[in-house]
Amino acid sequence: MSTHITGGSEAMRSGDAAFQGKEKMERDVFAAISKPKPVFYMALLLAVSCVGIGASSLAWQIYNGLGVAGIMNPVGWGVYITDFVFWVGIAHSGTLISAILYLFRAKFRNRFNRTAEAMTVFAVLTAGLFPLIHLGRIWLFYWLFPYPNQRLLWVNFKSPLVWDVFAVSTYLTVSVVFWYIGLVPDLAIARRLKAGWQKTVYGIFSLGWTGTFKEWQHYNQVYKYLAALAAPLVLSVHSVVSWDFAMGVVFGWHTTIFAPYFVAGAIFSGCGMVITLMVPMRKIFSLEEYLTPDDFEKLARLLMLTGLIVSYAYIMELALAVYTENVYEYEQFVYRLTGDYAWAYWTMILCNVISPLTLFVRSLRRNLTYLFILSIPINIGMWFERFNIIVISLAKDFDPFNFGLYHPSWVELGITLGSFGWFFTFFLLFTKTIPVLPVTELKEELE
Amino acid sequence: MEFRFRNKAEFMDKLEDLFKSGVSPDQTKIVMPHPDHDIEHLVEEYTSPSPLKFFTLIGGLTGCFTGFFIAVWTTLDWQLVTGGKPMWSLPAYVVIGFELTILLGALSSVAGLFLMGRLPRFSKMTKPEDYGNEFVIIIDED
Repeated sequence: MSTHITGGSEAMRSGDAAFQGKEKMERDVFAAISKPKPVFYMALLLAVSCVGIGASSLAWQIYNGLGVAGIMNPVGWGVYITDFVFWVGIAHSGTLISAILYLFRAKFRNRFNRTAEAMTVFAVLTAGLFPLIHLGRIWLFYWLFPYPNQRLLWVNFKSPLVWDVFAVSTYLTVSVVFWYIGLVPDLAIARRLKAGWQKTVYGIFSLGWTGTFKEWQHYNQVYKYLAALAAPLVLSVHSVVSWDFAMGVVFGWHTTIFAPYFVAGAIFSGCGMVITLMVPMRKIFSLEEYLTPDDFEKLARLLMLTGLIVSYAYIMELALAVYTENVYEYEQFVYRLTGDYAWAYWTMILCNVISPLTLFVRSLRRNLTYLFILSIPINIGMWFERFNIIVISLAKDFDPFNFGLYHPSWVELGITLGSFGWFFTFFLLFTKTIPVLPVTELKEELE
Repeated sequence: MEFRFRNKAEFMDKLEDLFKSGVSPDQTKIVMPHPDHDIEHLVEEYTSPSPLKFFTLIGGLTGCFTGFFIAVWTTLDWQLVTGGKPMWSLPAYVVIGFELTILLGALSSVAGLFLMGRLPRFSKMTKPEDYGNEFVIIIDED
């Protein structure tokens, strides 16, 4: 016997409105993964072209050796490691928005978490390339992992670089798992709405999900535990990345504030990138009803808060250099402010300290065009922050005989451009294959 | 017997009536378009909560032990002083232990979901039972 019950009471009418709301939301969000328009193919072609430039540059470096890169003595870490830290930083906001805001039950998280998690996965995939590119002999990357070998050697577990291998690998794995598990119920909806080969593909990736109580019961548990595990992970990963520097006896690096400073910077840059991606996406896919200025204002507040923490860290770095009365540390910071790379330092200050202060004006926090424009200098500023930390500190060593200036070569710049192409290629494909908003979680809000 | 609802309140009332009238949760299949805490609390009054936490705990503990064990054992296996640091440097191994705790904790949680939720279900991948956005109660009368 099958009974279909609807009715006329107040509760029933509101339930029916919720039902209609769910149906409409499905239609609106899944409309985004319809057949792409020509502008999508143009954007994809541009991104793939950038990947081509990056791949050609890398091929040139592999063929000729690491000498074609601008890194030299004393600046042995240059744009590659800058790019690595930049992309790891971008990756952090996804897990912050998704896991930490989930644990705090912040509802605006549901507007951004799907895109932010996708951004995390693609950014870690991008970041992971750079230590390998920097190795030179990229085909020996597996030496970083502990495995029994004929040399009877093991990796050095006391090295921050080995910690980094474990931290970034774990972060990539957990981010992919967290993202995919969150996706499964939405892929099941896609299976229902699509036809032909698409239905089969979504069916396979939805794992045969049917939405029974037992499935949801275990799903809720696993999602909660993954969020609880991912939250400390996100803090640990960028702390470990910061220790790549802080554990070394280099001026400008060897400081205890590096871990929280890096974590705050990562969240700041990640929020910036989420805004860069989601403001145009909202317009292109007509998602104005689901992504309101109120939601973006909350994100802007997070951006403002982390921007202030980053500004405080910049001030503290200078204060520590002055108060510790360490002549080398002091000279290093005078050099940062007034030396060969002062233009990079002041670009960073302008982008990361001055420009976010405009967010104290409420109307600007709610102006999405302004937020999008602001997010671009924030991304640029955060790239320069890593460049300043890495390059300026190495350029002026203890010994004046060892001072040297670093200029990135076209190979390094080509690979950097390629990394942006790589990231945006993945992101563009994501927008056309996976619902960009978490439909299931938004449905829950309608009840 | 199958009951289909567009309205959550009606669905919950019916579900509670069925359970109170002696219908066992074991013979009841409930299908929902999204997770819901109210429904979860209601059903868990009559059933046991998910044991998934034990998967997470065991995975996490295994990861923690594995991380420290690998670091300590490899140090002992080939004793090489690096950077003038002590041979045994447990604080340095905390990072490895921590990361593997998270990694195996997360992976075992997902394994728990697959085992307890009986996923993946190959038969449902291409021929699913889809009820859209309706709440459904199916009672097995056998």
